Amino acid sequence: MTTLNPARTGLTHYTLGLPVVLVLLLAATQADFRSTQNLLNFSGQIGALLIVAVGQLFVTLVAGIDLSVGSVMSLASAFAATQSDPLAAVAMATALGVAVGTVNGMGVAFAGVHPLVMTLSTATFLQGLAYVVLPIPGGSIAPAMTAAATGEAVGIPAPLLWCAAAALAASIVLRRTRFGTHLFAVGGHPRSAYLNGVRVKSVVVGAYVWCSVAAAWAGLFLAARVAAGDPALGASYALESVAAVALGGVQLTGGVGSVAGVVAGVLSLGLMTNGLNLFGVSPFMRGVLTGVLLLAAVSLQRRRIVGM
Amino acid sequence: MSSSMSLSSSPGLAYRLQQAMTFILALPPAYLGTVVLLVSAAALRPNLLSPFLLLLILRQAAPLGFATIGQSLVMRCRSLDLSSGGVIAVVSYLLTSGVMPLPWPIALPLCILFGALVGAFNGFLIVRVRASAVIVTLAVSMILSGTVIALSQFHAVGDAPEILRSMGRARVAGVPLVPLLWIATLVPLALWLRRSAFGRVLDAVGANPRAAGLSGLPHLRVVFVAHVTSGAMSALSGLMLLGFVGVGNVKLGADLALNALAASILGGINFGSGRGGMLGPAVAAFMLVFLFNFLTSLGLGEPGKLMLQGTLIGAAALAYCLRHKDSAH
Repeated sequence: MTTLNPARTGLTHYTLGLPVVLVLLLAATQADFRSTQNLLNFSGQIGALLIVAVGQLFVTLVAGIDLSVGSVMSLASAFAATQSDPLAAVAMATALGVAVGTVNGMGVAFAGVHPLVMTLSTATFLQGLAYVVLPIPGGSIAPAMTAAATGEAVGIPAPLLWCAAAALAASIVLRRTRFGTHLFAVGGHPRSAYLNGVRVKSVVVGAYVWCSVAAAWAGLFLAARVAAGDPALGASYALESVAAVALGGVQLTGGVGSVAGVVAGVLSLGLMTNGLNLFGVSPFMRGVLTGVLLLAAVSLQRRRIVGM
Repeated sequence: MSSSMSLSSSPGLAYRLQQAMTFILALPPAYLGTVVLLVSAAALRPNLLSPFLLLLILRQAAPLGFATIGQSLVMRCRSLDLSSGGVIAVVSYLLTSGVMPLPWPIALPLCILFGALVGAFNGFLIVRVRASAVIVTLAVSMILSGTVIALSQFHAVGDAPEILRSMGRARVAGVPLVPLLWIATLVPLALWLRRSAFGRVLDAVGANPRAAGLSGLPHLRVVFVAHVTSGAMSALSGLMLLGFVGVGNVKLGADLALNALAASILGGINFGSGRGGMLGPAVAAFMLVFLFNFLTSLGLGEPGKLMLQGTLIGAAALAYCLRHKDSAH
């Protein structure tokens, strides 16, 4: 399919090579890295980020950005911590994702508000709501949810399965469905897409809904993993998911990106954190190194556009 | 609109009312928003409108005002600066931890120079390397604040220099000094942008960077200069925040970049329209700080405050953008 063209996927040797280099480096120097326990920890650590970042990919494909994913995660975790029935928690989180995505998408597509401002205001609102639902970290997560996020099925740890499911679903939607093709078309050239009969506004709303639902599920996953809700659980995920997406070769100007790239970006970020822990580097240096990595990554992706 | 129609017995008045409505709605949401806020404050919390408190709120708005000057300039040429949190963290660290034992007449300009250098670095990567402004400035902010957090294990942050604290307290004829500095920066800059070639090029780049470049305008240089200015403005607002708080803090300017972004948009700056001036964003900065104070005075608590804040900023942006969509057709 044409979507495998590097000009569309944004995949370069750097994007895909970075996690490979990191894995080789860590495996060669740190015996702890190869231990099963560390690999288990690792898949749990990156699980939530992967689910959010794959959602963020959909929004960036249509030249948007979603800063509300962090608050959506926090609120979803608050729901999970206050509901005793896991199904009710999942239903509420999903409904939350659909509602937030629709509001964001409508604001961006129909009113023409800039995505940064639109999602920033929903993020602020939802952060407040999260504090209303769950004023302090705590609550209890239904055992069934904890089991689903930390257990294992047919010998494979559950976090890994959830990661694979998120990546696979996104990959199929992007490569095999009409919606996926339309996402690339709208991101590449909205006017041209419109003239070719793509319903641009619905596609944009769809992208934001997908992103918010992914964020809500990531919130559930994270809450289930730490076995508690936290009204500030997702605070760092908004910018981290953007960073992961950018590391994966996705262009914030739209139309260029791939699930494989995002997975590589998330792996790079996760491996760096994991590696720093193993090397015993101060966790405070993590932000610095992430920043340096991001700068290096974007400097290697020269674009024609100046700005945003 | 129906109310103006019912006045059709005097068409002149109805027409003028309608004209006035169109004019007011076409203004950036900051103006109407400020009026609405002031009126609601007059009804609910009249003592917020006492000159004393208003001046204090104006003083409190100055750091955001400075950051907004930089942010709005950068946004007018279709870029974005999210690095002010990192710049302010470094400025606060340099001045309060004792790593830079210099007298203030040297130390303060050095801080502003540092801000400008960070802006120049951002500008270089954005203009020359053509990297995404969102990612570059975000990454620079992460690097700067991360470095400060890592370093503050060795040198704990302490008190702000006395000069900054007394500047924060100082008053000229009863008016706090800091907002006067804000106005003294804002007005000449606004006039200069309106009259100079640089201002014209800035608007041309904002309206259509490709056309500006093809017409031989120095469009890359404009983006670069805007980023340098924005970096220096971030450092300046950091100095003021330090003066108010009195103690160094890594999180000092953490939410400043996003608030400055909101203020710029509410003040009528719109990516890629070449529209927007200096006054609108300044009014929007005051409006936001007044809103925070108003919500606090209503005793809403953090959750309610956040919810209302999000709703109001979103509603203002929605109303403005919908309005401009109509007038564009």
